[in-house]
Amino acid sequence: MSPALQSYVATLLVYLAVNSIACWGLNLQFGVGGVMNFAFILYQSIGAYITAVLTLPRAAPGVPETYILGWHLPWPLPLAGAAVSGALLALAVGSFALRPRRRDFQATVMLVVSIIAATLVTSEQGWFNGGQGLFAIPQPFSGRLNLGISGYDWFFLGLVAVFAAVVLFFTDRLTGSPWGRRLRAMRDNAEAAESLGTGVRTESLKVYVIGGAIAAVSGGLLVEFIGAWSPAAWGTGETFIFFVAIIVGGLGNNFGAFFGALLVLGVFLELPTFLPTIGSSNTEESVQAAAIGVLILIFLWWRPQGVFPERKHALSRFMPAAAPEPAPGPSQPGTTLSVSDLSRDFGGVRAVDKVSFELLPGTATGLIGPNGAGKSTALKLIAGALKPAAGQVVVGAVNVAGWAPHKVSRLGVIRTFQHTSEFARLTVLENLLAAAPGQPGDSFGGSLLGRRHWRPRQRELLAQAAALLADFQLTELADEYAGRLSGGQRRLVEIMRALMAQPKILLLDEPMAGVNPTLRLTIEEHLRRLRDGGLTMLMVEHELSSVERVCDSVIVMAQGRVLATGTMAELRSNKEVVDAYLVG
Amino acid sequence: MPTSLAEEGIRATLTVEGLAAGYGDTPTITDVDLTVHRGEIVTVLGPNGAGKSTLLKAVLGVIRPMAGSVLLGDRDLAALRSDQICRLSVGYVPQVRDTFPRLTVLENLEMGGYTLPRKAVKARVEAVMELYPQLKRLAARQGGHLSGGERKMVALARAMMISPALLVLDEPTAGLAPQPAATLLNDYIATLAGTGVSLLMVEQRAKEAMSISDRAYVMAGGRVVLHDRADAVLARPDLGEVFLGRTGPG
Amino acid sequence: MSQIVLSLGFGLVTASILAMGAVGFTLQFGVTNLFNLAFGESMTVSAFAAYIAHNDLHSNMWLAMAAGGLAGMVLSLMISRLIYLPFLRRGTAQFAMVMVTVAVSIIGKNVLSAMSGSGFYSYQLPPERPVHVLGMVFSPRQLVIIGLAAASLLGLHALFRYSRLGKAMRATSDDAGLARSVGIPTTHLISAAWLLSGLLAGLAGVALAMDLGTFDFNMGGNFLLIIVAAAVFGSVGEPYGAIAGALVIGIASELAAIVNPELKNVVAFGILVLVLLLRPEGLISGRVQMRAEVAA
Repeated sequence: MSPALQSYVATLLVYLAVNSIACWGLNLQFGVGGVMNFAFILYQSIGAYITAVLTLPRAAPGVPETYILGWHLPWPLPLAGAAVSGALLALAVGSFALRPRRRDFQATVMLVVSIIAATLVTSEQGWFNGGQGLFAIPQPFSGRLNLGISGYDWFFLGLVAVFAAVVLFFTDRLTGSPWGRRLRAMRDNAEAAESLGTGVRTESLKVYVIGGAIAAVSGGLLVEFIGAWSPAAWGTGETFIFFVAIIVGGLGNNFGAFFGALLVLGVFLELPTFLPTIGSSNTEESVQAAAIGVLILIFLWWRPQGVFPERKHALSRFMPAAAPEPAPGPSQPGTTLSVSDLSRDFGGVRAVDKVSFELLPGTATGLIGPNGAGKSTALKLIAGALKPAAGQVVVGAVNVAGWAPHKVSRLGVIRTFQHTSEFARLTVLENLLAAAPGQPGDSFGGSLLGRRHWRPRQRELLAQAAALLADFQLTELADEYAGRLSGGQRRLVEIMRALMAQPKILLLDEPMAGVNPTLRLTIEEHLRRLRDGGLTMLMVEHELSSVERVCDSVIVMAQGRVLATGTMAELRSNKEVVDAYLVG
Repeated sequence: MPTSLAEEGIRATLTVEGLAAGYGDTPTITDVDLTVHRGEIVTVLGPNGAGKSTLLKAVLGVIRPMAGSVLLGDRDLAALRSDQICRLSVGYVPQVRDTFPRLTVLENLEMGGYTLPRKAVKARVEAVMELYPQLKRLAARQGGHLSGGERKMVALARAMMISPALLVLDEPTAGLAPQPAATLLNDYIATLAGTGVSLLMVEQRAKEAMSISDRAYVMAGGRVVLHDRADAVLARPDLGEVFLGRTGPG
Repeated sequence: MSQIVLSLGFGLVTASILAMGAVGFTLQFGVTNLFNLAFGESMTVSAFAAYIAHNDLHSNMWLAMAAGGLAGMVLSLMISRLIYLPFLRRGTAQFAMVMVTVAVSIIGKNVLSAMSGSGFYSYQLPPERPVHVLGMVFSPRQLVIIGLAAASLLGLHALFRYSRLGKAMRATSDDAGLARSVGIPTTHLISAAWLLSGLLAGLAGVALAMDLGTFDFNMGGNFLLIIVAAAVFGSVGEPYGAIAGALVIGIASELAAIVNPELKNVVAFGILVLVLLLRPEGLISGRVQMRAEVAA
């Protein structure tokens, strides 16, 4: 191979490696965490710029280049600086950009920030030399090694490969851990994740910061290789090329991201240089870019999960063979729930009006009433999904009225949803595991400690999950994606998930809806067992036979108010109840 | 093009025979027989989950029957889309989202008459306002700014714009306090009886609904378990059990 | 002081263009709940269509503007029918739809670039004597733009308030299911909404190109986010809020330009970011809460 060709190949491989690193960062943010980072290129750029100004010496007077810092640090300190800058910038931007609930709004804010940043960098000469950018950035070790051009390229490739390996190892470890699972659950259904203890805004921010740091490192490596960086290198179009790469390659998995980098950035953008030029080079670029747009559409239509879809985390092989019985659900005692004067309006209507009741551990209470009575609203108020206008919700000894849902759930208040809310792109087993609180490996720090740290506890949880699955006769579906199940099955997954969450207070919102009579009995048996084990339960349900079989006492609501409390038999003979609700 | 049966003056009987319908693979209701004769008020009662909403949706063409038939006069309703059914002179008041919140009351009525020839709309608006004089006061108010009872009245009026032969109401008193609910049933709905429209109503306020109905069907567990004249149904001593569920395995 | 009044005048022109664009954008959002980031490209295409009519085919500027409007209508309808609606019908997730609109934007922008050779274009309209109105200075052309905006917005208002079609469009945007059940052909009305918004995009595009003097294939895309800022100002999907947003942003950014011309965009974007953060549904919330939670 001629030296020129060698150099070319080495260069391509360097680009592939650096872009893979970038794609892994974006994949962590978007594919795993669900954060649509439309400012991605900004982070690669800050990494590049900071690396440059940390590598370069102070701007000599007379030299037409002005920039900040210029600390002339030895390698690899500039790259460390890049990572820190990427993380800090992501922290700053993310703390406000992740506020809106809608992901497309978040993306728009990020896009705007990216544009503003480009404008500022171009106009502020003193920062990074404005529109001309920085140049003549020395390559690491270039003076000291005597390798010739192509030799140096291979050397640098070796450096980058090390970084790539580290980033790959690191992101794989994060994604495969319980924290990774938590992130994916958040990606699939943020509301449900929140009700099971995930602080969505905080976790999104974490993933954003880590991805930002990774992107910055890729930028730093790039600038060390190329030796120059200017605003021309980071138009907003660049962000979308990265998105295309990971969408085409496959969202949510690192091999897919790598493949996307290879395909789009390596092949697709490089190949045209071998083709005969059509018209001006400008036209050619435009045609290429338009083709990328078409590619995105094609992929979003035919294969939205990408060429290499997210690998299924099939954990059933780790389940113990024989399910121990009975289900080792929480036999820990529940907590008292005391609601007083709880109120909430909806568009001028008093949906919940001064509702008060007290629930003791070891009891199951039904909450019944005609439509529009405010039952579901009351549950949501207790769980924190809605803020009360007035009143108290005391869990044990703590008033949680007005708390965010994930904080309430950490006290053991778990609720199920009226409409099924499974994590669609997680398997049934993963849905169950995602609910268990306080698992080792469940946080960023824990996930770094690796399998040895969280595997033992995961094995225990798998045993619990296996028992639940056996009880509800869903063992064969353990590795199925939850989103593919039938409505009734998804309802069961949701109930099992709630049970895995070790509730101290279980709020069930119409759990029997859509469940056939036989399975209804199974669920009722579980609920009774939980109640006898000391759990506190509140169940909104229309299926009154279930209520009668499970609940010791029943609260009747109508028009947002508590009408009466008692056993079903007592309520049947209560004229007011019957009038409001039934025929008498 | 289906024409309005009311205009044709045909005795429009709603005949449901052997109806099975549901979502997904298994039917939620099976073997349902039901008729509503011209000018009758027929109420369907039953606890939640009994299949009452499913029955209505099958009648209105929102879901397709899995077995059996739904005929209005001699027209097969099951084969039509919902906007075609509307032109066939079937009016519908859904349980929730029954009015356009950002349109005024007057505009809501006009939208109710969307399928009418334009010249006829004004006349119908006036006629409907005669039926419910309170509408005149509320004409400029936005749908979302009405109280629950007022919204239901507007929804009824809107459905009446096409002079329907059959009016289908899904739990009209849902979410209403006792007073507005009583007004709705005894005043607004009962008034309709005089216009000759047939009414199929699902209700949970069984007692009050019975007092204005001619006949009633009681559904439980996806089937019709009781069918009689309204006063006879009301007089049954065991009706409470049907609603609150018998003890023991359901 | 006179600087301020002058800037007020500039602000009015910007606001006029913004208003047409923002109302168009908001119309699309209202009926399809779609954040269409390809909206800017409709504007650019229309500007080019007017260029072809005026510079190549030598029609007068009025006809050229009509050509631009027509181009906007056709393009919007085509994109919505051929691309967006099929994806929406499939149940494509919200964030994936954003990617779809971004893809369309990329395609549009680059096709224009390839075709136009990425040079700058101009209608090359003859210079005019400025007109003084209340201390503000306008070229007659700018007065036409303001007039056009006023006329089209008034026309829209009349459409929505007094015509059956307009009311049916509002009904569809309010509750498509209920609209269908009263016999409103919602699919046709959604198409009508796209046609209307495409018309507005077209008029805004031509007006913008006129006001800028020169334009290239990036014109619409560059202006898009400012339009989004105005549209989001009032609850997205609520046209009157978009008009308010256009006025606020148009005038505020021109006033900021007195201090530093660079600030113009920054102010507009700053307002966008603020609105998106403080009130994801916009500042002027027209939508009354009538959710299913009430029946619980």
